[in-house]
Amino acid sequence: MKKTAVFLLCMFFASISFSANTGPMDALKGPIDEGIKLLSDQKYKNPSLKRVQREKIWEIVRKAFDFTELSGRALATNWKIFNPLQRREFSEVFSEVLGNTYLDKIQGGYMDEKVAYLGQEMLSDTKAVVKTKIIREKGEIPVNYSMRLKNNNWKVYDIHVEGVSLVQNYRSQFNDILSKETPNELIRRLEKKLAEQQKGKIE
Amino acid sequence: MNKLLAVIVSILFFSFAPAIEASDIAGTIINGGEKIFPDVIISPGHDYLNQEFSDDEPDFLSDDTKEEKKEETISIADPLYYWNKGMFHFNDKLYFWIMKPVAEAYKAVVPRQIRSGLYNFFYNIEMPVRFVNCILQGKFEAAGDEFASFVVNSTEGILGFDNPANKYPELQRGVEDFGQTLGSYGIGNGIYIIWPLLGSSTIRDTIGMAGDSFLKPVSYIEPVELSTGIAGLRIINSASYKIGDYETFKNAALEPYEAFRNAYIQNRQKKVRE
Repeated sequence: MKKTAVFLLCMFFASISFSANTGPMDALKGPIDEGIKLLSDQKYKNPSLKRVQREKIWEIVRKAFDFTELSGRALATNWKIFNPLQRREFSEVFSEVLGNTYLDKIQGGYMDEKVAYLGQEMLSDTKAVVKTKIIREKGEIPVNYSMRLKNNNWKVYDIHVEGVSLVQNYRSQFNDILSKETPNELIRRLEKKLAEQQKGKIE
Repeated sequence: MNKLLAVIVSILFFSFAPAIEASDIAGTIINGGEKIFPDVIISPGHDYLNQEFSDDEPDFLSDDTKEEKKEETISIADPLYYWNKGMFHFNDKLYFWIMKPVAEAYKAVVPRQIRSGLYNFFYNIEMPVRFVNCILQGKFEAAGDEFASFVVNSTEGILGFDNPANKYPELQRGVEDFGQTLGSYGIGNGIYIIWPLLGSSTIRDTIGMAGDSFLKPVSYIEPVELSTGIAGLRIINSASYKIGDYETFKNAALEPYEAFRNAYIQNRQKKVRE
């Protein structure tokens, strides 16, 4: 009985120190490498398995990203003019649209690109930037991930591709749209985009 | 003269394109108003999720660092909005109707080794642009690396068709240009402007482009037709490696014009800072 208690206690502390030791770069490395493994797996060259591959990648992405934070940051002060239901609807549809766009790209155009991890920069105890680059046949694309520690997990809340922040890019678009349209209209536009993407996939 | 007329006519034509598209979009909004997602039913099981969204003042940006704060307010004056929007559509059509099909055909026909060789060659001969701008920004070490790469690639790399300097990551530097040099001197963007063919730019970067052209060997080739042809080959060759990038970014956007404008300014700001 005592032994078990000691064992459990040890396990408990071990798990705490383990998660605390997992830095942002390691937290990102896992999912990215897993994703690349899926993409280069010959098994998925079979068109009938493309959907399975996609769902597996999407699951990895979902775990690695904090889409609520990402959506909130993209709306910034506009968050206040959304009611809780709209916020939720917005976050869901926005993350699906983002996911679809980029999954289409990496699934359709993966050309043995490699990812090099350049390092991590701690901005504070709970915020960090992980610097990577995608190495293509010709040229390299610097990609930096902004990450934040939430519930002991490092999650991505923004990506900078060649210095262009995804969140900021959408913020400028949403500002533009919300200066003329209502939150519901913006959500409808995102839904329409999602429907177009899904239609395109079937064809 | 006829050519000039053709260009003017096409510019006029495309400046109407936005209006046509706007009415298309308006039409589809009316038709496509149906809901894809069912209404969210608030049940006890959903509470944990709703909490996340019920906070009115989550202040997502409140704990941002100085660096991040600086980025939040990035913007650019766009008094030439109507011209720019027309040019945006013009370049978009140019890409889909000419650039992309040509680059795809080129990629299918021209062997990989030749495309790769040309890519390296064109990059190598523009060393003077990068070298001089490194010097002008006081980046002497980077200038040295540019020069060393050039020497290695031009000799061991057979006139730059191969890229042996690639083996030394420490020689790889960001690509400097005169627009960035001016930026590093504290000169602002001025206004946003989209040029036909050349795409997004600003007043500062346009001056930069003009300045850099004096350092590009291709600009000195006579006759002009040959020089233009070589410049065209360079564009198509490099496009053959990037087919699909433009589409992805455009498809990801809700407001493509705004998305490209913002991306251009962010990208340039980062390059100036580096």
